[in-house]
Amino acid sequence: MDTSQYLDIFLDESKEHLQNLSDQIMDLEQNPDNMDTVNEIFRAAHSLKGMAGTMGYKRMQTLTHDMENVFSEVRNGTFKVRPGMIDILFRSLDALEEYVDNIQQTTEEGTNDNQDLIDALNSILKNNGEIKPVNKAESAAKTEAEPAASGGDTKHSKWEGIKISDTERMLVEKAYKEGLKAYGITVYVEEACVLKAARAFLVFKALEKLGEVIVSSPTAQDIEDEKFDLTFSLIFISGSTTDEVRAAVKSVSEIEEVFCDAYQLEAAPEPEHQEAAPIKEEAPSEQPKPAEAAAPAAASSPAPAAAAAKPAAAKPAGKPVMNRTVRVDIEKLDNLMNLVSELIIAKNSLIAATAAEGKGDNNGSVNEQIEYLESVTTNLHESVMKVRMVPIESVVAKFPRMIRDLSKKLGKKMELYMTGEDTELDRTVVDEIGDPLMHMLRNSADHGLEPNDVRVANGKPEVGSIFLDAYQDGNNVVIEVRDDGGGINVEAVKQKGIERGTITPEQAETMTDKEVIDLLFMPSFSTAKKVSDVSGRGVGLDVVKSKIESLSGEVEVKNSFGEGSSWIIRLPLTLAIIQALMVVIGDEKYAIALGSIQTIEDVSPDDIKLVQAKEVIHIRGTVIPIIRLNRVLDIPPRDEEGQNLTVIIVKKGDKLAGLVVDELIGQQEVVIKSMGKYIKVPKMISGATILGDGEVALILDTNALI
Amino acid sequence: MDEVKVMDEQQRNESLNRHVELNTMQFIVAQLGGEQYGIDIKYISNIIRMSRITRVPKVSDYIVGVINVRGVVIPTISLRLKMGLPEDEITKKTRIIILTLEQHESIGVLVDEVKEVVTLDEEHIEKMGYEKDEKERFLSGVGKTEGRLISLLDITSVLADVMES
Repeated sequence: MDTSQYLDIFLDESKEHLQNLSDQIMDLEQNPDNMDTVNEIFRAAHSLKGMAGTMGYKRMQTLTHDMENVFSEVRNGTFKVRPGMIDILFRSLDALEEYVDNIQQTTEEGTNDNQDLIDALNSILKNNGEIKPVNKAESAAKTEAEPAASGGDTKHSKWEGIKISDTERMLVEKAYKEGLKAYGITVYVEEACVLKAARAFLVFKALEKLGEVIVSSPTAQDIEDEKFDLTFSLIFISGSTTDEVRAAVKSVSEIEEVFCDAYQLEAAPEPEHQEAAPIKEEAPSEQPKPAEAAAPAAASSPAPAAAAAKPAAAKPAGKPVMNRTVRVDIEKLDNLMNLVSELIIAKNSLIAATAAEGKGDNNGSVNEQIEYLESVTTNLHESVMKVRMVPIESVVAKFPRMIRDLSKKLGKKMELYMTGEDTELDRTVVDEIGDPLMHMLRNSADHGLEPNDVRVANGKPEVGSIFLDAYQDGNNVVIEVRDDGGGINVEAVKQKGIERGTITPEQAETMTDKEVIDLLFMPSFSTAKKVSDVSGRGVGLDVVKSKIESLSGEVEVKNSFGEGSSWIIRLPLTLAIIQALMVVIGDEKYAIALGSIQTIEDVSPDDIKLVQAKEVIHIRGTVIPIIRLNRVLDIPPRDEEGQNLTVIIVKKGDKLAGLVVDELIGQQEVVIKSMGKYIKVPKMISGATILGDGEVALILDTNALI
Repeated sequence: MDEVKVMDEQQRNESLNRHVELNTMQFIVAQLGGEQYGIDIKYISNIIRMSRITRVPKVSDYIVGVINVRGVVIPTISLRLKMGLPEDEITKKTRIIILTLEQHESIGVLVDEVKEVVTLDEEHIEKMGYEKDEKERFLSGVGKTEGRLISLLDITSVLADVMES
C-alpha cells in the first residue's frame, strides 16, 4: 500500500505529539511525582509509536517503544523519575524530531539508529531507574559511523549544484564586470548545534557585511524555519578574497566546516580561476537517494516500502514533501461559521418581519429579495461547512497496512474489509478519531480474533475478518468496528474485575453483560494475558471512550460470545446549523433535527394500544413505541381529548419511536447555540436556537429520548 | 434602546468620583422583595428589560430559563427563589441583570427593580462573619449609605452554587 498520501497527517500528528511530549516532560521535571503527567506522556509515546509503526518507520518506532517501556515502569511505580532520566528523554525527543524532519524532507526517516539512546533507555529499565553510563565510546562510534555511511553523503562543495535563474545570472555577470567576485559557499553546521537557524542567520549576517547573498539552497525562508539538515549553500557576491569570506563564516561558532570557492558561470569571462564549476543540469545528489535509504525497510516489507520510495524519488531532494496548502486555524473557521450563523438569524428575522407585515400586495419584490438572500446564505453556509468537512478516508486508509503488519506480528491470518471511507466528518472530529479507531482495530486483531488453529477447530474460516464500516445515519456518523472472532468472554472480564478489585464477587453475580462490558472502558483494565506492543497495556479503551465522549459521541458494544463483537461509535456531524422541524408542545416551541425524522403520522387515539403498560402504535406493520413529549418535558397537556394526535416518527440506528406533539410549525434552518455552563441541561436537550422573532427555542435530541 | 448603558453610567460615576479615594466600590442596587441588594458593578455587563424567557425542562426551579441577548443564549436565574424568597411577580419594573464573570460566561439574574448605582467607601462596608445562616450564604457584607443598609451580594458564591447544583 502506498502510505505517502498520509504523510501530511503523520507529520502533523507526530509534531503535535512531540510537542505534547516535550511539554509534559518539562512538566515532569518540575513535578516528578505527577502521575497524570506520566500517563499523558505514556499515551503520547504510545500513539507516536503506533503511528510510526503504521507508516513503516521502524527506527522511530523502536525508539518510542523504548521510551514507552520506561514510562510503563514509572507508571507502575517500579521506579521514580530522576533528573538524569529527563536528559535522556529529551535527547530521545530530539532524535525523534530529527526523524520527523528527515521524513518531511525526504519521506525517509534516515539511517540513524540512535543506538546510544536506546541503550541508555534500556539501561534505565535494567537498573530500575538508575542512570549508569552506557558504553559511550562504542555507541557513540556507532552513531558517528551511521550518518557517514548513509548513502555516500560525503562532505563536498554542494553549492556547485545550485541552479540560478536568469536574473541571478545577470547579477553575477554584473558583479564580474564591476570587478567583484562571486563565491559559492557551503556551510556545515556542527551536528550538536541546537539552534541551526540562528547559526545560519549569523552566517548570513557576517556575509552581508562583506557583500551580498544572491541565492541560497535551501531558500532563505526554509533556512530561517530550520528546514535544512546540517548544511546549506549559497552564492555570494563580494569584493573580498576567498580567505576573508571563509574567515567571516568561520567566525560564527558551531560551524564545522566551510567550503568556499569562486563561483563561475558557464561562460564566465575569467579563465584564470581554477576549478571551474559549470552548472550541472541534472539534480544534484545532495541527499542520500531515497530509494537506497529505503532498502533496509524493503527487506521486511518489500511492496509498501518500494511504493513509498517511488514518489520520494520523483521529488527533488531537499524540498519538503508537504502539499502547498494554507493551514487555517480552526478558530478562524469557527469565527466565519459564527458570522454565517448570524446572517441566517438575520435572514430568519427578515422572513418573520415580512410575514408579520401582513399579506400586502407590494411585498412581491421584498419576498423575492429574501428568497435570494436565503439561497446566498444557504450556499455560504454549505461552503463554510465543506471547508471543515473531510472524508474519514484520510484516517482509515492507513489501517489496511497496519492490519497487515499486525497479522505478521501476531502470527494470525486476518483481513480488513472497509466500507464508507468517503463518509465526511468535521475536520476536528476526523483529526481526533484516528487514535481511537486504531486502538479498536488493534484490540480486534489482538484479543478479538482467535489464533488460526482455534478458528479452524471452531469451524470458522481460518482467516479472521475485521470490518470497518462508516456511514451517515441522520445527523450522526456511525463507525463500526466488527470482527468475527471469539467475542468478549464476559466471565473472564468479571474474573479480571474481581482480581483487580474493581468489583466484588457479589457485584459480579448481579451484573448484566452490558455492565461487565462497561468495565473494559475503565482505566488500566486490560484482559490481555501478556503485554505486547500491539495492545494490552490498558491504555486502549479508556482513552477510546474519553476521546469519543469529548467529541460528544458515544460507544456501544454488541457482543456475541463465540461469534465476535462489534464496537459502534456514533458521532454527531457537529453541524452548527441544521435543518429542523419546528413543533409546538403545549405553548412551547421546540426544534427537532430533520435528519432523524422518518415520517409524520396523523394517529387516532383509538389506534394507540398498550403493550406491557407502554403505549405503542401499529404503522404499516411495525410496532412503534409512543413518547408523549409533554410528559417528558413537564408541559401541561392541552385539553384536546379524543382528537387525532400528530406523531413524528424518529429513528436511532434501527430503533424507531413516535413523538407526540401538539402542532407543527414547519421546516427551518436553525443555528445551534450553546446554553452556557451555568445550567446542566438534561440529555434530551441538545442545545438552543434563536428564532426569527428573537425567541429562544430548545432543540430536542431524539437520540436521548429513544 | 431598552438597555441601560451600564458602562456609560460607570464612566460617568468614575469621572464624578475622580477625586475620591481609590478604595471605594460601586454597586448597582436592586430591589428584591422588601430589601435592597447591592451587586458589584464589575460583574455587570448589561441590564435589560424583561424579555421572553424560554423555560428549560428538568432543571432546578430557580433557573427560570434561557433568554436571547443580542444573539447569545443566556441562562437566567431567579434571585428571589435562590434567596428563598417568594416567586417573582413580573411587573413593568422587572429587570434582568446580565452578569459576566472572568471566564466570559454570562448569566442573567431576575430582579424586581434596579434602583441606582451607589459608591461605597471601604469603611462603610461591614464584612460578613464566617457564621452565615442560609439567607446570608450569598452575602459578602452590608453597606451603609445615606442612612440605608444595603446587603451586598457575593456574586461568585451565588454562581458557584448554581454551577454545583
